[in-house]
This record gives sequence, C-alpha cells and structure tokens, in this order.
Amino acid sequence: MSELLLEARHVTRRFPTNDGRELVACNDVNLKLYRGKTLGLVGESGCGKSTFMRFLVWLDTPTEGEIIYKGRDITKLKGRELHEMRQHIHMVFQDPATSFNPKMKIRDIVCEPLLNYGRIRRSEKNARARELLQMVELPGEFADRYPHNMSGGQRQRVAITRALALEPEIIVMDEATSALDVSVQETVIELITKLQREKNITIGFICHNLGFIQSFSHQIAVMYLGNIVEVMPGDKLSEVCCHPYSRALLNAVFDTRMDFSKKIEPIKGEPPSPLDVPAGCPFRDRCDRCMPVCREKRPTLQEIGPGHEVACHLFGRGEDA
Amino acid sequence: MALLDIKNIDVSYGKRATVQGCSIELDQGQICSVVGESGSGKTTVIRAVLGLLPGGGKVTSGDIVYDGKSLLTLNKRQWRALRGHDISMIFQDSGAMMNQTRLIGNSFVEYIRTHEAIPKQDAWKKGAEMLSRMRLPDPDRIMRSYPFQLSGGMRQRVGIAMGMTYRPKLLLADEPTSALDVTTQAQIVRQMMELRDEYGTSIIVVTHDIGVAAYMADKVVVMKDGRIEDQGPREYILNASTNAYTRRLIGAVPSLGGKRYV
Repeated sequence: MSELLLEARHVTRRFPTNDGRELVACNDVNLKLYRGKTLGLVGESGCGKSTFMRFLVWLDTPTEGEIIYKGRDITKLKGRELHEMRQHIHMVFQDPATSFNPKMKIRDIVCEPLLNYGRIRRSEKNARARELLQMVELPGEFADRYPHNMSGGQRQRVAITRALALEPEIIVMDEATSALDVSVQETVIELITKLQREKNITIGFICHNLGFIQSFSHQIAVMYLGNIVEVMPGDKLSEVCCHPYSRALLNAVFDTRMDFSKKIEPIKGEPPSPLDVPAGCPFRDRCDRCMPVCREKRPTLQEIGPGHEVACHLFGRGEDA
Repeated sequence: MALLDIKNIDVSYGKRATVQGCSIELDQGQICSVVGESGSGKTTVIRAVLGLLPGGGKVTSGDIVYDGKSLLTLNKRQWRALRGHDISMIFQDSGAMMNQTRLIGNSFVEYIRTHEAIPKQDAWKKGAEMLSRMRLPDPDRIMRSYPFQLSGGMRQRVGIAMGMTYRPKLLLADEPTSALDVTTQAQIVRQMMELRDEYGTSIIVVTHDIGVAAYMADKVVVMKDGRIEDQGPREYILNASTNAYTRRLIGAVPSLGGKRYV
C-alpha cells in the first residue's frame, strides 16, 4: 500500500437524545486512508457511515478519539489553523441540486473556494471557471448557467469541480452517484477515477451498494450499527469477504450476470434501533451463525489476511479474540 | 388473451407528447419490468394504465385493454371499482401516500370499506390479517402506528399488504425498492415474487435498477425518451439484443467481479 495519509483512531460519536439516553453513531472506529487510494464505506442507512465521514470535513466532531492528518489531530483544530487545513479535504454531497446555492451561477460556485483562499483574483474568475469545467468534461459555456439549468449528471460534475478547485488531497463523497441513472453513474465514476489517477487524490466514498463500490475501491470497510465489522481489499471482495453481514450484503446485490434461478436469501428483519444495540455482537440477532459467545462479548477487529480485518467470533483466534 | 394490452398509446401533458407509440402486452402471472433513465416516460405509462396521470395528462391515441375491456372509456364509478380491487399500485414510498395524521389502521379500514360494505371492526381485523399474511411482525401494533413511525421497508410492506387485500390480478409497482437499503430491497423483491407464485398476480415493475428488473421479470421493456427502445424476454434483452442503447444500459450496471475502474 502507498503512504498513509490520514488515520482515524478510536473515533466514537455519541448523540444525547431527548429522554436522556445515548445514541452511539460511531463506536471505536479505526480506519486508514492511503494516498491516491479509495476507501469505500458500506452499510445500511443509519449505520453511522456518513457521521464518520463528516468528521473529516469538520461538519461534526467526534466525542472521543482522534483523526491524525499531517501529524496533527484535526478534530482539535481551531481558527486560523482550521481555515488553512480545510483546503486539503473537501466533500461531494449526494444531491447536487440541494448542495448549491440556486441563486449563484456555476462560475461563482466553482470559483468560490478559490476566492476564499485568495488563490485567484476576481478578474480571473471567468477564465478559471472554464478551465475547471473542462477538467470534468463540461463545456466552458456552462459557467454562465444556474444549477437548475443542468441535468443531474452535469450538476454532479460541477460538484466534483468545486471540490477539486483547491486541489485537495482528500475528497469525501457521500453517496455521490446514488441519485444518478446507471449510465450517468458510470460516466461519473470513470471521471472520478481518471482524476484520481491524474492528481493522486485520496477518496473516501460512502455507498450502500457493495457491487458498485467494489468496482472502484482499493479498500472496503463494512459498517453495521456504528461498528466497523470488516475491512478488506477491494479487488478481491467476493473471494475474501467472510463476515456474515458482509456476505449478506453481497447476496443482496442484484446483478445482470447473476443466476436468476437462485432464490435470494435476504437477512431476516431489520437492524435494531441504534439506541439499543444488543450486548455482545451487534449483528447477533440477525446472524444465522450466532453462537453463545456472540451474546456475551463484542468481537473486535482481527487481522486474518493481508489488508483484511474482520470483527467476528467465527474467525477470531481463540480466547483473546 | 392477454390480461393487459397497451396498444400503441401516446400520452401528452398539455401539447407535448411525453410517451409515443408505446405497446406492452402482459399475460396472467407474468412479471414485466420497464427500465429506462429518469424522464424516459416509464412511470407515465403505468400511471396511464390506472388512469392516474397527473396535471392534465391524457392518453391521446391508442387504447389500453384490460381483461377484454377498454380502460379509457371508464367513468368515475367504474374506475373506483377497478382501482385497488382488480388493479393495484405500489408507490416508491408507500408511507408518503398515506395520510400522515391518521393511523395506518384507519387508512386501511377506509380503503377496505370503499370496496366492501363491512363494519369497521371487521375491516380492522381484515387489515391486520393482511399485514400478518405479508409477514409483518406484530400487525396490531402496526395498525395503531402512524406512517412516520415505521421504517421504510415496513412502510413498503404495508403498502404491498394494502395493495394485495383484494388479490388484484394486476399489480403496478412504481420504483418499489428504489428508496430502500439493499438488504430491505432483497426482502421486498422476494416478497413480490412470492405474490406471483401464490396468487398468480401479474406485475409491472418500473425501475431504473436493471439488476432488480432482470431478476424479477419474465420480460423487459427498455424505454428511452418516451419511446420503447427495445422489448423482449429477459434472456433476449440481457444476452442477445443487438440494440445499441440496451447494450450500453446493461454494460453500465456495476457487476460483482465485473469491470473495475482502478
């Protein structure tokens, strides 16, 4: 693997609820982002995947734990330092229609970060906007348009442009292609991976479709109820994936090449409320290989292969597992 | 004879024709999926079948024949007897179609009593029974809940239960799983397939998820810009079709162990 760029250590986020209880959205999350690589974070809605990624862009701060980037704990940054650091990590949101100011022209949208950091003068705005749009294969004339004059795919390209304008090292994409049609999704992913190769960007990508995310991730982390249950290399996903929950996610993927006569076996029931996660393994009540030990002890991530960690008693190493 | 025969229809909103020359035939117990990009007119087609075109939409030419009768000449009373009884529809978010300020049970009872003159208590019982038949846990609690108190997957199952109360011959599903998580999606897809096996319901599924469409359907209709681009049995569409658009659409579906971009 290439150089370690960002590391999250024991990150936990608790939200207090109205009735005095506590919701643990992220529980002791440890993840690493490597330079020029993509980390895919997969899980059902409400499992805490967005909560985690939001820490990286200072939209929220963890209750415990630290996120190390450039030798600093970025969760503690303030004022001037925070402003400087923000240049290096950017975000692309799920719905480009609601993440732009509808009254701003595309030109102003993509150049706002540049002006903010004094990288360009106001007079250079027009030329720079065209250049940036060409980078994402959009015609330069789009600079004069408003977000509502564009299709979803085009808007998402603009969102990518805005995130790339300052040439950041890390981009966080929160379901950046979920709102798009499959054919558009394909072209956007081709664009993202092309730009990644050219500029050596690190990407943190959130998605709930394993089939899709494995097509462009170097590392995949599966999250369930705030816990990372498996981290595995992206290229060998279907061979190495072994946590019962990851397998279930994998079996739930509909694919044009699947065997149509095979009956799909969805996992039973729904995820329990994050307000009362069962003791022991969070997945125990939906797992068909649940053992007595799963009810008592929460499994921790254990390395079982190169770049492959899993939190499950089935694969642990005896007592210390 | 086909159960539903959409014969060369044009649908317009105002002056512009949104759907042109659309023909689909569906037999008893068949599942047909309509795929296409957003704005290709796939939802318009199934809404036309149920006479639910929004905002002045109209079928301007062609005919829709259900069970030997044309649907385009029905009056209000006839529609009322047909909708929700012979032909049902499931929407993308079944919770949103219900009144948010009323209990699910009350909506359900109202629905049952539109089609059947029975006392409220019996209608309530019938509703709860339907929910348990759709394998929803604790049906009484669900009847006493508001739509926003249930998860997306549960709401969708309530929607299916409502739609299936009178064992319709034809079920129209408009993006039934698009708003759900993959695991819940698998549950709903399986449940819809079982409806066909148990009750012989014919289903039209509109979806942009080609994986789901391919898994469920006997036949697939590909739409583009308001026209039918390609249609045929699933195996033909997936493997044999020579239509360039179909090929491109299928090629774009991410596949496990398929194309990798990095």
